[in-house]
Amino acid sequence: MFFHITLERNMQLHPRHFGPHLRDKLVAKLMKDVEGTCSGRHGFVVAITGVEDIGKGLIREGTGFVTFPVKYQAVVFRPFKGEILEAVVTMVNKMGFFAEAGPVQIFVSNHLIPDDMEFQSGDMPNYTTSDGSVKIQKDSEVRLKIIGTRVDATEIFCIGTIKDDFLGVINDPGATA
Amino acid sequence: MSTEVRDEDENAAELKIGEEFLKSKCLMNCEIARILDHKYDQLQQMSDDATNQISQVFEKSMQYVKRCSRYKNPDAVRQVREVLSRYKLAEFELCVLGNLCPETVEEAIAIVPSIKSKGRKLEDDAIEKMLHDLSLIKKFE
Repeated sequence: MFFHITLERNMQLHPRHFGPHLRDKLVAKLMKDVEGTCSGRHGFVVAITGVEDIGKGLIREGTGFVTFPVKYQAVVFRPFKGEILEAVVTMVNKMGFFAEAGPVQIFVSNHLIPDDMEFQSGDMPNYTTSDGSVKIQKDSEVRLKIIGTRVDATEIFCIGTIKDDFLGVINDPGATA
Repeated sequence: MSTEVRDEDENAAELKIGEEFLKSKCLMNCEIARILDHKYDQLQQMSDDATNQISQVFEKSMQYVKRCSRYKNPDAVRQVREVLSRYKLAEFELCVLGNLCPETVEEAIAIVPSIKSKGRKLEDDAIEKMLHDLSLIKKFE
């Protein structure tokens, strides 16, 4: 789920930037440092939308660098265990399939795909029901439930399931609708 | 860090998403699409070489919200939030419903189990009315 939250960060700035454009420099550096990063606690920082407050700077002894506490607002994407969302399938193999929901990757193991869906290999590997009415392949949109998250230093990885009521394929790119 | 939810306790189905996120504004995909579009235009105006500044996370999020948005029209997006906010939902619940647009009461309860948890007074009739209002917005978009 996407959130708009307020975050804080201590920014270190080199003395050469001190001058009338100090604030601009600080904001530009903040965007460069933070956007696109990921932490286990707040998830992926998608975009900074505003800077709320820049506190008083503190000179660091010995280096001349100044640390500013910066309060800013950002759009973040944070997946939660138990959350149900839509995702786009990126890869299918006999172990299961991978899907993406924005910046996060979700793996759905074949144990968590309904039993009536069988793996079909070929140049477009897919999972299909025996009557062929439902098919999961690359680029399908699926609704899935996140059942586990693993947090890395720079990434969040999720495990999902489609073996529950109201989960599964939403549209099928191969079908002529 | 008392507000931090450990992975084991976290469960969106029971609305256990941590105090910090519960207090924050939660946004639907269609709302995010508008914010990111605006930001994208800003970035392009700021420099000619905008591609350098756009992170992969930004790009992927933008593609995703464009693909998985139910409402495209900004007025419809506003109406969805307005309609849903009449039902005393948590921000998180509101956004899941807005993103997934369930069609039946059972489906709504399946994707947002917390609306039926104890202490809440949302009856099936109310949920049905809410879904009906949502489908009307979609129809007249």
